[in-house]
Amino acid sequence: MPVASTDPHSHTATEEHMPRRRVLAWLTSVGLFGSAVLSAVSNLVFIKPRATYGQPARFAIGKPDDFPSGTRISLDVKRVCIVRDGGKMAAISTTCTHLGCIVGISDTGFACPCHGSRFDQDGTVTGGPAPKPLPWFELSLAPNGELEVDKGTTVAPGTYLNV
Amino acid sequence: MRTALAIASFVVLIVHGVVFHDQFFYRWERHQTAYFEQARSLSKSEPERAALEARSPRIEQTIVTSFGDTRVDRCTTCHIASDDPRFATYAQPLKSHPYSAAMGDVQRNGRWERRHKFSDFGCTVCHDGQGRGLETKYSHGADEFWPEPLTGYVTQANWRKDFAPKLKGKEYMEANCAQCHTAEDFAGTPNVNRGRKLFYAMNCYGCHKIDGMSEGTLGPDLTEAGKKYKIDYLWESIVEPRANLDSSFMPNFHLGDGDVRALVIFLKSRRGVNFAETSLDRYKAHVENVAVVIPPGTAGEKAGEQLITDRACTACHKLGGKDGGIAPDLSYEGLIRDNAWLMDHFKSPRSRVPDSIMPTFRFPGEDFERITAYLTTLKTPPPAMPPAETYKALCERCHGENGDGQGKVAWYLDPAPRDLTKVAFMNSKPRERFVNSIQEGVPGTSMPSWKNALKPEQVNGVLSYVLATFTKEPAHEIKPHNVPDTNPMASTAASIQHGEEIFLERCTGCHGRKADGKGPNSLDITPKPRNLRNAAFVASIADRRIFDSVLYGVQGTAMPAWIDYVSKNDVGDIVNFIRSINQKKGSQQNAGQ
Amino acid sequence: MSTETQEKGAWSALREMPSNVWSSIFRNPLPCTDLERASTSFTNFFLHIHPVKVHKNTLRPIYTMGLGLISLFLFFILVATGILLMFYYVPSTTQAYDRMLDLRGTVAFGIFLRNMHRWSAHGMVAIVFLHMCRVFLTGAYKKPREFNWVIGVLLLLVTLFLSFTGYLLPWDQLAFWAITVGTSIAGYAPLIGKQMQFVLLGDTTVGQEALLRFYVLHVAVLPAVLVLLMAIHFWRIRKDGGLSRPQEAKGETAVVKMTLEPAKKRVYGLQGFVRGPFTKVGNVPDDSVYAWPNLLLSELFVFVLTVSLILLVALAFNAPLEEPVNVMHPPNPAKAPWYFLGLQEMVSYSAFWGGIGVPGLMVAMLVVVPYIDRGTKGVGRWFAKERLLANTIFLTLVILNVIFIIIGTFFRGPNWAFVSPF
Repeated sequence: MPVASTDPHSHTATEEHMPRRRVLAWLTSVGLFGSAVLSAVSNLVFIKPRATYGQPARFAIGKPDDFPSGTRISLDVKRVCIVRDGGKMAAISTTCTHLGCIVGISDTGFACPCHGSRFDQDGTVTGGPAPKPLPWFELSLAPNGELEVDKGTTVAPGTYLNV
Repeated sequence: MRTALAIASFVVLIVHGVVFHDQFFYRWERHQTAYFEQARSLSKSEPERAALEARSPRIEQTIVTSFGDTRVDRCTTCHIASDDPRFATYAQPLKSHPYSAAMGDVQRNGRWERRHKFSDFGCTVCHDGQGRGLETKYSHGADEFWPEPLTGYVTQANWRKDFAPKLKGKEYMEANCAQCHTAEDFAGTPNVNRGRKLFYAMNCYGCHKIDGMSEGTLGPDLTEAGKKYKIDYLWESIVEPRANLDSSFMPNFHLGDGDVRALVIFLKSRRGVNFAETSLDRYKAHVENVAVVIPPGTAGEKAGEQLITDRACTACHKLGGKDGGIAPDLSYEGLIRDNAWLMDHFKSPRSRVPDSIMPTFRFPGEDFERITAYLTTLKTPPPAMPPAETYKALCERCHGENGDGQGKVAWYLDPAPRDLTKVAFMNSKPRERFVNSIQEGVPGTSMPSWKNALKPEQVNGVLSYVLATFTKEPAHEIKPHNVPDTNPMASTAASIQHGEEIFLERCTGCHGRKADGKGPNSLDITPKPRNLRNAAFVASIADRRIFDSVLYGVQGTAMPAWIDYVSKNDVGDIVNFIRSINQKKGSQQNAGQ
Repeated sequence: MSTETQEKGAWSALREMPSNVWSSIFRNPLPCTDLERASTSFTNFFLHIHPVKVHKNTLRPIYTMGLGLISLFLFFILVATGILLMFYYVPSTTQAYDRMLDLRGTVAFGIFLRNMHRWSAHGMVAIVFLHMCRVFLTGAYKKPREFNWVIGVLLLLVTLFLSFTGYLLPWDQLAFWAITVGTSIAGYAPLIGKQMQFVLLGDTTVGQEALLRFYVLHVAVLPAVLVLLMAIHFWRIRKDGGLSRPQEAKGETAVVKMTLEPAKKRVYGLQGFVRGPFTKVGNVPDDSVYAWPNLLLSELFVFVLTVSLILLVALAFNAPLEEPVNVMHPPNPAKAPWYFLGLQEMVSYSAFWGGIGVPGLMVAMLVVVPYIDRGTKGVGRWFAKERLLANTIFLTLVILNVIFIIIGTFFRGPNWAFVSPF
């Protein structure tokens, strides 16, 4: 292996003659760059909240018996509407997909007071500036017999829970 | 240099990696993953299994605002199976929270329904602990800086080892049930109920105030005791009252563990707020609380003797077979006190003994009358006994078995019982003085008059016994002091003012600016300086005695001789001043001779 | 000799103290000679950002209209008033509105400071926009000033973001719904839109987390970024040879032969070595004037004008404060802040294109324009004929944006239907 020149201040050595220096430089760069990357990723992880103090994403809404068949009950604060048709139940979001206002229930479906978006009973857009249909949230039966809505998980419109 | 830099850079990378890793793979994630797997194996339908498969660990929390402040309970992050009935037999933290009819849970269609839903109540309102924590040490409240450890399950490291084990047990949670379930006979809070009864039975109510229950002002207000203190402090305050305040005169009632526990749970339930009440209810209760009186007829038509038991007088006093060990012996009360004295003393103990610690009880007047009537029947004098036995029976309680004024109840008496071993004092007073003290008592103090209980020869016998046994040194001839028999200074406004000036200049250091004996020096003196506002006492001593004490001092005490600093006339003015501050308004009293 | 030194005792030190203190701080006299004027730029900490001499064109009011300076001074006013407001404001959903009421009613000068802050903020958004227009229309983004232009675009975005984050802080209906609308637009971005919205708001809806995050961004993060970018922006101005000016002005003074003189007693450091379109040593006629006092007086004048105007506006008009936030009651219509109304109007036609697509494209075009338009003609003059195409495109887009803003402001009513403003 080529030995470093005896003059410690010599800068004219080529890479082949200075593998140690190269290795050290590589180690340093890896160490510093890696730390920088980890640091940056940590900052991003930091800034994304793990627990929020607003409404929880997953919450219980009562028992199936609390929602009679043929009804559409809007839980205002939770921003979700529970529909029940016979043994089938669904949870539809009442947050307008246009700019976030709360839609009201109308005879034909839903209507948004802010900019006039209109939706049918399944949440499909029938008029107004809303770009997307109202999402359906996952509705499940918890082990203790209560219905749970999970706003963190959307399901395809038309997916019902059988109770 | 390059080597050092490369190594340092690599080390920093490793450290970054450790820090990064530290914030992932939490314990609660493992618990949740275990739950998902178990629940999958227990699930009966495909969609359910698929949903569980898709679930990834995340922080679960319940935010509850109905109980005053915002509670964020993250207990279900680890205890994720708490509402899943299938996990009843699993080990913590994956164990279901039990159901029970006692908690109001009902069974419908073969399935339990929880009365206290987690989404409505959260966890910490019943269990305490730190809702926001995600590590066991913090969430269970084991961290000693957290004010509310998991009640009944967790003790903190800095709690006293001698009774920390007694602070565990599910019954401690009753204190939290009582935040809503405040009914006195609620079946779910037997310890709170027992504690409440003890609060009355042990006369705690006399000294301590609890809003809506009692009016005592001598001890700290306990309306929010449960909010302010942890159970270890409450326990300690009851079993060792002087543990945190040396000068406390809270008695030690020597209660058993069961009673102490009930009291602690009861006090812990006092949080100054009842969630079942509306603010309007609370306001009304507070307004009506102005005068809390134990309702008449509570003791029925019972006689005074029964009343003494009902009102727990023997929690402090001695009577019959019971002795609280805190207050004087009432066995010969009929020989010592009369009706008027007893009734006045009941209505306000401090009207008769200004520095008494007996609480002012708000019984109905007829209760006082009945008790007084009973006490005045206690006229049986003590049997004839040798002086030593007489001393033991009558005097030892206050003056101590060694005559040093350290009797069983001495701590609670003010002025303190005389230290009979103090030679300097005992030998500076003529014998007549002591005879008089025993026979007539010392008004305004707890020293009773024994003339009706002891014959003169018994009195002399006891006195000789005391002098021989405790004082020991024989008395010398006492040089007569040159003091006037009567006050040469007339009691004019000018005289009184001059007396006050001298008093303020010379006497307040010990006797205090208010002449109540609580001057700054009084903390270091034994016996304490005399309370010169003790009207009964001051009225009972002659001017001559005041002259003597001021001019020549009182040997065996810290009262110095002022003869070189004040003239006789000055002292006369002081005497007038002292008399003047002990007069009832608008009347002139002549000093007794 | 020894007696002289002995005289300099403590007593004389005391007597000389005032002048000693003065001269220790102010080491150079107020300039009288050219040399002294020249040296102000590097004998004073605060003045050293200035060159020794500026081209006369730079000082022509019609040329720049001082727009950049006005933006800078508005920023100073915003920082000063902002910091003062921070003494009374609390970023809590339960306390913010009440604090605003306190500032309006109870705090001495509270209403005045808030007005100054609000109007300076709107003013700064408008002025930086106009400044960008000026720079474009005078072709001042061309080489060598391309990167400074990019920095400028970034500064514009940061300014908009600063205004947006500050808009939420009063926590009234106006603030809440404007930001709800604005952040919903952000959610339209493909792939990362929802994530970005979640990180920005700290939650799924606008709440305490959003208020706190916006507060931190508004008082700490964005001002720091802005100051950093501004510092680079000013540095680049110096390095690019000062403000742009017409070609003719450069003339023979463009390149001057210089010789490296042997080191004399006083060396002016880098100034002696720069060979550029500027800063030269020698008696060559040129169109530059000393920064002291010309540039500095002009700056002072612009500052006084800006401050006076803001003071007057703050005296005359009150910043709005509507009802406290009511989450269940969105106003109809709910409008974004005026500078985003153009976007909102476009969004009403197409959510993605109006909110993300078109604005994104416009920003991209702005950033890229100095690298596309490489022509060197027409720099330093307003509406130079050589740059007709570029100016036309630019002005069209600007006017379209302004029209959209006007429509959104005046011609849109409940449910975003057309209404007449008259």
